[in-house]
This record gives sequence, C-alpha cells and structure tokens, in this order.
Amino acid sequence: MDLTVTVRIDGAVVPAIRGLSFELPPGKILGLVGESGAGKSMVGRAIAQLLPVGFSITAGSLLFEGEDLVQMPLPRRRALLGRAIGFIPQQPMTALNPVMTVGAQFDEHLARLGEGGYVERRKRAIAALAAAHLQDAGSLLGRYPHQLSGGMLQRVLIALAFSSNPRLVIADEPTTALDVTIHPQILRLIAEMQREHTTAVIFITHDLRLAAQLCDQVVVMYAGRAIESGPARSILSRPAHPYTRCLQLANPTMQDERRALYVIPDQMPSLRQLQKMPGCHFAPRCPLVVENCRRADPPDIWIGADHRVACLRAADMAAIATIDEAAASPEISARIVLQVEKLQKRYRIGDALFGGARLVEAVKGASFNIAENEFVALVGESGSGKSTIAKLLVGLEQPSGGRILLNGDDLTDPSLRGRVRRAASLQMVFQDPQSALNPRRRIGRIITQAMEAGNRHATWQERLTRTKELLAEVGLSADFATRLPGQLSGGQRQRINIARALCNIPKVLVADEIVSGLDVSIQAQLLNLLARLRSELGFGMLFISHDLSVVRHLCSRVLVMYRGEIVEQGPIQAVFSDPQHPHTRALVSSVPPDDPQAAWPALKAALAEY
Amino acid sequence: MSALARSLRSPRVLIALVMILCILGCAIFAGQISPNDPGDQNLLSILIPPAWAKSGDPAFRLGTDSLGRDVLSRLIYGARTAMLVAFFASLGAMIIGTVLAHISGYFGGTVDWIIGRLVDVWMSFPPVILSLILMVGLGVGLDRVILAIILVDWTRFCRVLRSEVLIVTRHDYVAAARLLGFTHWQAIIREVLPATLPLLITLMSLEMAIAVIVEAILSFVGLGVGADQPAWGQMIADARQYVYQSPWNLLLPALAIFFTVTAFNLLGDGLRRTLDVRLSESGR
Amino acid sequence: MIGIIGKLIARRLLTAVPILIAVSALLFCVLRVLPVDPAAMSLPPTATLAEIEAKRHEMGLDKPLPEQYFIWLTDALHGDFGPSIQYRRDSGSLVAATLPATIQLATAAMVLAAILGVGGGLLMFRVRGTPMEPVIDFASILLLSIPEFLWGLILLFVFGVLLHVLPFTGQVAPGLPLPRITGFLLFDSLLVGRFDIFFSAAQHLILPAVALGLAFSPTIMRVLRSSLFDVYHEDYIQQARLRGLSEGHILVRHAFKNASLPTLTLAGVQFGILFSGTLLVEVIYSYPGMGNLMVDAVRNADLPLIQAIGLTYCIIVLIINTVVDGLYVVLNPKLRVG
Repeated sequence: MDLTVTVRIDGAVVPAIRGLSFELPPGKILGLVGESGAGKSMVGRAIAQLLPVGFSITAGSLLFEGEDLVQMPLPRRRALLGRAIGFIPQQPMTALNPVMTVGAQFDEHLARLGEGGYVERRKRAIAALAAAHLQDAGSLLGRYPHQLSGGMLQRVLIALAFSSNPRLVIADEPTTALDVTIHPQILRLIAEMQREHTTAVIFITHDLRLAAQLCDQVVVMYAGRAIESGPARSILSRPAHPYTRCLQLANPTMQDERRALYVIPDQMPSLRQLQKMPGCHFAPRCPLVVENCRRADPPDIWIGADHRVACLRAADMAAIATIDEAAASPEISARIVLQVEKLQKRYRIGDALFGGARLVEAVKGASFNIAENEFVALVGESGSGKSTIAKLLVGLEQPSGGRILLNGDDLTDPSLRGRVRRAASLQMVFQDPQSALNPRRRIGRIITQAMEAGNRHATWQERLTRTKELLAEVGLSADFATRLPGQLSGGQRQRINIARALCNIPKVLVADEIVSGLDVSIQAQLLNLLARLRSELGFGMLFISHDLSVVRHLCSRVLVMYRGEIVEQGPIQAVFSDPQHPHTRALVSSVPPDDPQAAWPALKAALAEY
Repeated sequence: MSALARSLRSPRVLIALVMILCILGCAIFAGQISPNDPGDQNLLSILIPPAWAKSGDPAFRLGTDSLGRDVLSRLIYGARTAMLVAFFASLGAMIIGTVLAHISGYFGGTVDWIIGRLVDVWMSFPPVILSLILMVGLGVGLDRVILAIILVDWTRFCRVLRSEVLIVTRHDYVAAARLLGFTHWQAIIREVLPATLPLLITLMSLEMAIAVIVEAILSFVGLGVGADQPAWGQMIADARQYVYQSPWNLLLPALAIFFTVTAFNLLGDGLRRTLDVRLSESGR
Repeated sequence: MIGIIGKLIARRLLTAVPILIAVSALLFCVLRVLPVDPAAMSLPPTATLAEIEAKRHEMGLDKPLPEQYFIWLTDALHGDFGPSIQYRRDSGSLVAATLPATIQLATAAMVLAAILGVGGGLLMFRVRGTPMEPVIDFASILLLSIPEFLWGLILLFVFGVLLHVLPFTGQVAPGLPLPRITGFLLFDSLLVGRFDIFFSAAQHLILPAVALGLAFSPTIMRVLRSSLFDVYHEDYIQQARLRGLSEGHILVRHAFKNASLPTLTLAGVQFGILFSGTLLVEVIYSYPGMGNLMVDAVRNADLPLIQAIGLTYCIIVLIINTVVDGLYVVLNPKLRVG
C-alpha cells in the first residue's frame, strides 16, 4: 500500500505542482503542510482525478496499491472513490445536499458499496455514527444537514468516509471551518478511526503545530514544490529549509517571550508568476538566498535517513537574522478612553404573528474598559457575541441597554452630532477584505473616504496628500493609490482597510477578525504593522479573534466571551497560563503546543465536551 | 468604464445594437425614409399584395392594407411609435422602481415592509389585465399607453432590484461608508447605486422588449395609441380580418415586432452576461 | 408539516383579504374616472335626461364614492356583482359560465409549457461546453421574443389558414351540443359519453394551448438551465463526485431536486402571467373564455363586468401563488423544520 507521486500539473502550460514525490506507507498519517496557493489541495484533487478545468497531470505516476491512478481507465478510477479512497471535506456545512436527509445520503453511499438490503444498511449507518461518538444516531439520520451543527456534520462525514474501510483517506483542512474548541475532538476522532481501520491518511493543513502533533510524516509545500519532507516531529523541531524556519518564526507563540514576528516579505508567487521563475521558487523571499539559487532547481539533499530538503543551503544551517528584541511592550497609559458599562443587546427572532417569537440575548451585560493605547483582545467562539459587541461599539447596532462612554461622552446618542463625534473617534476594521472595499473605487479614494463624508469638502489636493501619508503608514508604495481592490492581495487589502480606518486618527479601533483567513506570513506582516502603528499613533484597539496565539502576541489584556457574557477578563499572560473559567480552559487547551515535541493533552485525553 | 468596452466586445450585444440602430433609424428618420404618408388612404387600391407578388404595385413596395394605406410606410412609422413607447415607458418604470427598490432594500424594516406590501398588491394583478383596465380608465393615446406601462411594470423593477440592493448593502463597504460619516443619501448614491447599475441597465433593456409587446397588445385590442397613429399591433388587428386575402399584412408587422423584441432581449441577455460575470466573479 | 402549511395558508389568507380589498378599490376608482355614464349606457339612446337621472339614482351613482364602493363590496360578498350593462345578466353568472373554459385552456397550456420547458432546460444544460451551446441559447432567446399573441397568429395562419389541418375558432365545432355539468367541457363530454364532442373540443384546444405553451416555455427553460448551473457549482455536488457517484446519478438524484425549487417558483409566477395571457389567445381564436368576455366588457365600458372579471383574475392568481408557496415549503426542508 504505497503511494508514490511524481506529478507535473499544467494549467495553460504552467506547472502548478512540480516534481512532487512522497511515499505513504499503510496506516500512517502524512501531513501536507503549506500556505494557501502552495498546491496542497491540488494534490487531493489529483488523486481523485477531479482537477479543475485546464489542469491535467502531465507527468509522473500515482501508485495506489501498486496500480497507477493516472493510467487507469475512468470507470475503474471512479469505482475506487468512496470505497478504497475516502475524502473528508473542509466545509462540512455545505458538503451534503441540503434537501436530502443525512440518512438518505448515507444510505445512498452504502448502497453504492453494495451493503445488502435497506435494513442492513440502516444498521450499519447507525453503527458508523455511534463509532463517531454521535448520540441518538437513529433520529439523526432523519434530520437534514442544516439542522446539525458543524461539528456534528463533520463527524457524520468522517463516519461516512471510513464506513467503506478505505485504504486511504484524504482530509482537506477538516477543522478550519469549525470552532476552535471542537478541533481537538475532530482530530482525535480522525486519529481513532485511522488506527482502527489502519487507513493511510493524507492530512492537509496550514498549521505547522497541528501537523507536528497529529502526523507521522510531513511534506512541506511551497509554490507547487515539496521543499521539505520527513518525520513530523523532527522536521518541525529542527527544520532545515529556510521557508519552514521562517514560517515557524512568523508564527506567534503561546508560551515564549514576546518578540517581533519574523516577516517574510511579499507573498507566495501565483501560478502566473511561476511561469517566469527559474530556479528555486522561494528565492525572491529567502533570507539565505545566493546567486545559484536562482539559476537552477534546488537539489534534493538528505539530512539524516529520512529527512529530505530541497535547498542549496540546507546543510549549512545558517542563522536567520531575527529581530531578537522583545516586542517593546508599550507603556499602557492609565487614562481610560473607552468605558463600556453593562452593555446589552436583545434580538427578537421568529414569527411574531404566529407565535414562536423568541427573545435572544446576544450580549448580556458586558462591561470593560480600554485605556489610551491599550490593545485589548476579545476572544470567543462563533455565536459568543463578539461581533455584536463590535457592531454596538461603532454604532451599526443600537444597544438594548447599558452605556458606551468615550472620553466621558455617551455614545449611544443617535443624533447627527453624536454620529459625527463617534465617526471621528471610533472606527472599525472589517474582517472580510473582499467585501470591505468597494470594488469600483480606486484605493486613493477608498483610503480618504472619510474626507468626503457628510458636509466635509476636502479638496483634491488635501486628499492626495493624506493618501500618500496613509499609504506610507501602512507600508505600501504611493502608486497603490490608483489601483483597484481587485488587483490587490488579501494582505494588501487589509492594510488598506486599516489605513482607511486611520484616516481621521481615531482614538479606538475595533478590529473584527482581521487576520483570520490570512496566511501566516501575511498575518505576521499585519501584526507587526499594528504594533508599529500603536507606538506611532497611540490608539487603543479592541482586537477580536478566535486565534489565541495571535492575540497573545499583540494584546495586553483579554476578554473571554461565552454565550453573550464576558466570563473572564484580565492580563493576557495570566489568563492564558492559568485560566479560571472552564470555557477559557477549553479554549486554551484547544491550541496545539508550540513545541513539536511536547504532548498535546487535548488530543490524547478524553476531554469532556463542554 | 471598462465594463462598457467589455460589453461592446460581446457578439450578442453588438448584433443587438445593430438591430436596434436600424429600428431607431426608421423611427427617427421616418419622415425621410417613408415613401408615402402612412395615413393616406387610397380606397381604390386596397389590399394590394407586396411588389414582388403578381398583382403588386411598385408604388406600394409592401402592399396596402384594407384602407389602401401603404404598409411599408406604416411599418416605418410604427417603429417610431414602438421606440417612443419602449424608451419612455421603461425609463419611467425604471425611475420609480429603482428609487423604491433602493429605499426598500437599504433601509429595511418597516419601510421595506410597506413597500413590499405595496408591490405585492400591485403584482397580484396580472399585468395584461391591469394595463387593459388602466387604458379603459385613462383613454387611448400614446402618452396614456406609456403611463399605463409605467404604472404596471415598475413593480418588476422594484422586486428584482430590491434583491440586488439587499445583497450589495450587506457588503461591509456600505457599513464602512456609514461609519466614516456618510449620510444615508451619500451611501446609497455613492456606494450602492454604482453596484446595482449593471443590473439596472440590463433590466431596462428587457423592459423595453416588454414595453413593445404590451403596446402591440393594447393596439391589437383597440386600446392603444389611437387610430391616428400607426402601430404594429393595430396593423395586425386590421389584417386579421383579411388574412385570407392578404396574409402579408399580418406577417409583416408580426415580423417587425419579433425583430424589435429580439433585439432588446438579445441586448439584455448580452449585457447580463458581460456585466454579471465581472460582478460575481464566477464564470458562466 | 401540515401545521406549517396550515400556518402558511392562514397567513396568506390574512394578507389576501387586504390585497383583494385594495385591488377591488383600485378597480373601482380607476373605472369611475371614466367619462362614461353607466346609467346612460344601460338605457336606450332615446332616453330623456330625466330618465337617465332616475336611472342614476336607481343605480346609486349619485352617492359618494366610498359609499358606492361599500355597497358594491357587500353585494359582492353575497355573490352579487351587479348586472352587466351589455348582457343584462348578473356579472357573476357570466364569469362563472366562462371561467371553466379559460381554466381548461390555461391548464393545458401550462402542462405543455412545463414539458417543453423542462425538456428544453435539460437539453440546454446537456449541451453546455459544446459548440451547440451558443446556438441553442440563441434559439431560446428567439423563442423568448415571440409573445403569445404572435404565436397565436402564426399558428392560426400556418395550421388553420394555410394547411387547413386544425380548427381555429371557438371551443367546439358548431352544431354540437354543450353538456354543462361541471362546466369543463372536456370532462363533461366524457361524463355524458359523447366522444365526438370530446374529440372536437380537444382539437379546438390544440392551437390556443400550443400558442400559449410555446410562449411561456422559454422562460422555464432558461431558469432551469441557470438553476442547474448554479447547483453544479455547489460544494455538495463535488463531494458527491468524490464519493464516487456517477454523473448521471448526481444529475438526477441531487442536482435536479435542488434546481427544481427556483424553477418551480418561477413556473408558479409564470402560471399567473400565463393565465392572463389566455386573454389574447382567446380573442385571436374566438375562444369563449373569460378573456374574450373581458375584452368585450372593456370595449363597451361595462363596468360591473370589468370589476367582476378583474377580481376573478386576481383571486385566481392569488390561489396559484399560495399553492406554489405551499409546494415550495413541502419541497424545501429548510423552510419546513427550520
């Protein structure tokens, strides 16, 4: 049960994946690690032979149990899918047909496998769901996908994938779309099933630490090439390729001393750029680059028996210059600039006319303060109310109770003057860079949008000047002013987002999940940017996120929200190292440890569902 | 304005524009192109077949109708009627529908509910019936036809645009504009409207097709622009009685209607493809 | 599920009542704007002014507008829509006499439109990506551009006049008796066992139904095609492929089910419009339905009749919309249990 892959995939004669080779022995977990665009999902699709239009395998073989998938005729290949090869999708909420019951789809799957009559199949389905630790399997089969939570759906999908006793399962970022506290449970389930069926698993992820904990082997991909591969723990505790090492340094940690994150400049080359890139793909960004790197493909060097690295300089473990200074923790001013007292928000949902109208308390009496240049983190899972608090602060929603005081002024005054005051001092940076910037406006006009609001009539000259200033602030060159958002990358768009909010130098910024969904290297750039802006401009920030290591890096205090209430708050180091509230403990334990060699209790132990 | 350039490269749009220009040409230059006065009755030469038929007359290229009027001239002047109705009716419906759709979709809540109920009431009337009844109430005439179509079809604009406005308003950049101090008015005009503009243009093109059809229907039942103005629907109604003697009098205005409606539909479809693809960033 | 549908119907009824009142009021007002005097119309041309005045008083036309409306409304609720000016019979009974014929026509046309629409939509979807696609797409636009009255005329000309194969006037061949049990000729003729009437009625139905059906099928085609397109971009289709299900299985068991929902909604809306499209086709084919009656009434400014017919059209469209909404709830689990 070997899997040897050497693949060249062309999309319009551009190699999307080049020379990828790895072997997966039966019953082992292989991690495919990389940032977005590295090609890891593509590998999964290549194995299924379901590549997008324009892509095809042009060289190499996919030996599955001795047979080459590439040469195989289509019907035989299709027969393997769902039987010998299983898939666990990234988005469980949309992976099943919404108008068919879960049971109907499970049954369809089992029927295809030829598992006997209807009664037989139903019994097997119930057994499979029970093995996935789902209660009340019988009635669950009768429900529709939208009635189940993300976590439950993913368990169903995992049960489905393993129900045919497959030889290989490909899990494409199975936890990314789920709440953080569910991650360990799902991962544990996958590990359990894998052990039970001795299935080989290819686990695709962007999270290095996760891969270190779960996988036996790891292949690190960058721009379509496998740049490093070998045993998980040793690679990740002693990475040899400069990219892997930089990536580790760019990741904020939970335990270590706070220091400025290493920033890998620019971003991964896109498919188009790969066309004209001879030599090593990482060369433009590599801190250890030498002339030869750009001339020819880097050779595969073996370090140790099973650790392979594609780098000229692998053997020469030069130090990567990092900024070793501890991230200057700024003096937190004693002056409180934002006071929130017993904030409440209630929504009425459901049908008022025919009964069934419910009052939902999205926020139940939240109280906290933010000082002049303090970054305060707000963490919680989806549905905890953190986005609602953001909207209440900036005025997109009106509170049902409580007060918001900015420098003593009550902001809940909905009059025009009140709005203008608020606009001047409290701004928001939105999460989704795609929807946060008007695709029809040029960047210059977006950044200085505040200057055309209301009764202001800023001159063209004034806006131009301010645009240049703001662009420089966020580290972008002046020629960005004439571009359109569609031409920018995610990270660049977030910078514009931030720049726009800073136009009138607000006192407090609300940042709602602004680095979620961004690659680690981009994230590092933005975090460093925010830290620098704080020391230059001195604003306070409410930083909302679900990623604990990120907030720990950036913020000095943390508020933990659960079901509308702030269940714990305090200095971030203290709260994370010694969490008091059960939910905080669950959150903290859901983060894989920084040290690849350390054990991750959540994965091993039987953690009670919170 | 690159969207405009892109649209012009679509074959559908180009063909449609050529067709529309032809009709527009007839409409504007009717006086110059038309060989005869469309209202001129030659009671000695009624129901003459087109010039290529046996008993045709070269003075009347496409024949005459039951009152001896030149079919070709009536077709050309009919184009003027059709285009006038198409343009003004869809413009009016567009203005009313757009304003209400934006207010409804942007503000939501009670305003949305009220406008929504209004649209519901209006739309529970089948359009043909409503326009007939309106014409009964308003009386015949070109301006009445335009008014009737506006009053019936604004709901279509409103409903379709409202969904689009809802989607656009959900985008963060609209909220961001408000946060930065934009008034509601500014937000709608500068952020929402440019986004709904492509759909608006597409809808207007389709509405013109519908307006031409409705005008033809109204003229057909005798409640259209009035007997003094040439209209294709009326030509068909007249010709129906004499379909055995001169089938061409029935077919030619039908063809004219078909040509015009196809042109507008093609334009609308072509625009939808070029503009929509860019917006939603998904190939279709 | 019954409970949900029950609630839906109750809610519809609640909103339907104000709609009907609003619509009838609208009708009432619009028609009163006319410079036509119903009193004068219902008397012979030799009537004197005094007689006309007396008639006006008798008809209640000198009362204030809201009062007139109220009187009409209460009468209407009792089924009395007022006498038709032209026919001197109760408008309500006139409508009841012609309604079944129109329903017959509309239903036949809708069935045809549905069959053509679904078939065409599937065909358009099958040829996607092939060189045939733009051709068929263009053809569908051409089809779309022929409104029902043009179809009516073309079919009448080709099959009635030119080729003489199908009848194009009336509901049955002249001289045949019209059994009236349910009012639906096709059923009645079968019920009395007269197959010749049935055959004749069916023959006369062909051209008008085909005209209507052809006119309304392109919209259904295009919506089905684009819904299928949308559905195929969804995640779960890809996941089904990854589970090894065949393309055919996916199309039938998964894609079609989901794509049929928006198609159904549109088809429902189309039925409402189709129903009003029967008017033109009836005129063209001299088919004795409600539409023909309406055109007559409109031409003669027969206000009570116009009101009665207008209201009937409205009620039918509301019923159709309610049924479609109900069906949608039944088919879409997200709305059912929510």
